[in-house]
Amino acid sequence: MIELHEVSKTYGTVVALDRLNLRVEPGELFAFLGPNGAGKTTTIKLIVGLLFPTAGAVRVGGFDMQRQGDQARQLLSYVPDQPYLYEKLTGREFLQFIADMYGMPRSHGRRRIADMIDVFSLGDFVDGLTESYSHGMKQRTVFAAALLHEPRVVVVDEPTVGLDPRSVRLLKDLLREESKRGVTVFLSTHSLDIAQELADRIGIVDHGRLISYGTLDTLRKQAVLDGSLEDVFLKLTQEAPGNGAP
Amino acid sequence: MNDTLAPVRVNQPLLFQRLRWRLLRNAVGRVGRGASIRLLTVVVCSLLVWGCVYVASWFGFEFLRLQNRTGTFPFVEDIIATLFDLLFLALTLGLVFSGSIILYSSLFGSAETGFLLSTPAAADQVFAYKFHGAVAFSSWAFVLLGSPVLIAYGVVFAVPWYFYAFLPLFFLGFVLLPGSLGALLCLLVVNGLPRRRKQVVGVALLAISVVLAAWAVHVIRTAQTQNWTRDAVRDFLDQFAFAQGVLTPSHWLTQGLMAARHGHTGEAGYRLTLVWSNGLFLYVATAWAAARLYRRSYNRVVTGGTLRRRYGGAWLDRLVSGVVGFLDPQTRLLIIKDFRTFRRDPAQWAQVLIFTGLMALYFANVRRFYQGDINQQYKNGVSLINLAATAMLLCAYTGRFIYPLLSLEGRKFWILGLLPLRRDRLLWGKFAFSATWALLIAEFLVIFSDLMLGMPGPIIAVHALTVLVLAVGLSGLSVGLGAWMPNFRETDPSKIAVGFGGTLNLVAGLLYILVVLALMALPWHVRAIVSDLLGRHIPVHWLWYAGLAAGLLVGAAAVFIPLRIGARNLRRMEF
Repeated sequence: MIELHEVSKTYGTVVALDRLNLRVEPGELFAFLGPNGAGKTTTIKLIVGLLFPTAGAVRVGGFDMQRQGDQARQLLSYVPDQPYLYEKLTGREFLQFIADMYGMPRSHGRRRIADMIDVFSLGDFVDGLTESYSHGMKQRTVFAAALLHEPRVVVVDEPTVGLDPRSVRLLKDLLREESKRGVTVFLSTHSLDIAQELADRIGIVDHGRLISYGTLDTLRKQAVLDGSLEDVFLKLTQEAPGNGAP
Repeated sequence: MNDTLAPVRVNQPLLFQRLRWRLLRNAVGRVGRGASIRLLTVVVCSLLVWGCVYVASWFGFEFLRLQNRTGTFPFVEDIIATLFDLLFLALTLGLVFSGSIILYSSLFGSAETGFLLSTPAAADQVFAYKFHGAVAFSSWAFVLLGSPVLIAYGVVFAVPWYFYAFLPLFFLGFVLLPGSLGALLCLLVVNGLPRRRKQVVGVALLAISVVLAAWAVHVIRTAQTQNWTRDAVRDFLDQFAFAQGVLTPSHWLTQGLMAARHGHTGEAGYRLTLVWSNGLFLYVATAWAAARLYRRSYNRVVTGGTLRRRYGGAWLDRLVSGVVGFLDPQTRLLIIKDFRTFRRDPAQWAQVLIFTGLMALYFANVRRFYQGDINQQYKNGVSLINLAATAMLLCAYTGRFIYPLLSLEGRKFWILGLLPLRRDRLLWGKFAFSATWALLIAEFLVIFSDLMLGMPGPIIAVHALTVLVLAVGLSGLSVGLGAWMPNFRETDPSKIAVGFGGTLNLVAGLLYILVVLALMALPWHVRAIVSDLLGRHIPVHWLWYAGLAAGLLVGAAAVFIPLRIGARNLRRMEF
């Protein structure tokens, strides 16, 4: 469903991604990990078509993001680490805008909006302007908008920042359910416990290179360590080229 | 997904229009509920500015009409047409640049476009949505300043009713041309020179300003050496021929309006069609280019430069630190922070360069008055004009660069709010920074030009005192109003400066200049002129000193009242 083939990305003279190859299957929940500045957000922006690769190709749902980006974006939803909401729209108006943008039939859109308001418990504030929302309320509204149009691919960058424990639990359940329904979830996070709990497969990127890729067991074997994902992650990133490992 | 749930065809233009309408409706509704005083102030200030421009234009056109009737001034129609040509050409240039700069920050610097580009919204539709907003934002000044001129013209020359009907039609079609041209330039510069885009804009602005200023100097010199015979007037008007080419859209506008004024509706309709067809063609061409270039440009802007560039200390910071060395260390550090932010933004310092260039050209142009071959009355007038020009420069400087300072702290304002210093000190620091620089530059300009003109000592002393009151007062107004009406959501200083608070600050600054000059400097110049005309010395009346004292009081009020209001607002601010 998501395919990156020999993807490189440079910012001026700095190489942010170096020949990245990645394939995420339909219905898979894929966790993308890496230290700060490793290239996670750049990869995500390439997947959603905000940036173009300097070399290589990115395909989503079979569509090339550079040439057929509009069709590809119809399939996906993106929740960035700092999500955007129109401050002078109410939550409900924002959800309606998203429903219209994705071409949802009117009655179906209304039903889905009602469902999302219910699922994310937006009822108390959904008719107020979003400028008055707390960070957690904004996050919940953004997730409601992301799942509203029943995307086939959900790309999420640091989803749990600012959410209370109940909302985190809700989100984890939802991502798992979406994955079971066949939705591909690409999850970038620093929360290793969430990655360990949810992910079918895990990719670790460091200095723009994919240093490890597979199930947790595969990663453990590579690290020659039978510990938690946190231990494995620290060992693999410590040993990665460019980190002064012996 | 079954067939009944298949996506329907999305009418994206309609969707964006609906979005804009909802945003506007909600914003207006909120203003109506919670901020009616602000709305009232906006309306009153706008009406005041509109009224002033209308009255000034009415007198100007009435003067020309009377001259035309008595036959003392030839080619009045041609003069008015030339004035309109120049007005519309200036508007074209202004809209091209302001439109492209505003569009640049809308298309490439806003979080909204990042969001929209990650949805199925087509690139040209996102572009069109942002384009309409940018053109509306950049052309509001024309509505405020251009419409009273044209309506005053219509009233004085008793034009037919359809002249007024043509006005909005011409305006709407016309703004498409410079707006589209600016947008096209913006896209091409970002695509072609992604790493040097700010420098390109700065150099282009500087080059155009220098060419315009050099041309203006040439025209003024020609005007000063002419005896106003019919041939001389014709020769003079010919100098503006560049604004009257058959392919110049601003000239189509002039011709259309003049045709409407004379009842030639067919000709006016033809010009209107010309304006609209060309405007729409350029708009469609620009949207076509945006469909192909916008996403590519966005990618280039985001990844065009290096990720991390090293910045270090600079001698300029040490210089500024030395100049404000009389302040306490904490305030000095805050000032250096502001200055660093400023000097690392080419869009900011490029405008200072333009200001400085224009001022240098102005003083270079008036240097011939320094030769001593003109009479004292003329020198007297020139020195007053120099003082007024310096005051305007100060007003522009404080309005454009000082007023947005507090708003630019933005959402990270809480960092300053948590520092172990009184919030008042933030304001006083910014005030001291602004007043010190404004005072140094303005005193130098005014005293230097007065000395070169050979003005008498008392006048120089009065000017020096007036500049002190102006620099300090305008700084107080800008800092105080900036703290009273901060806009922490906007990151573009030029947008903050032209927003509601910035406009109010500008109007307040201009009124302040008017009052201070009238109280402090004008009486001394009037006394000098009368004395010269009568050929005898007129003793200084106590009222002259009272004017100076009143000016000082007004200056103190301009500092303390806005700063107190701003400081109170800052103290109450929650994060």
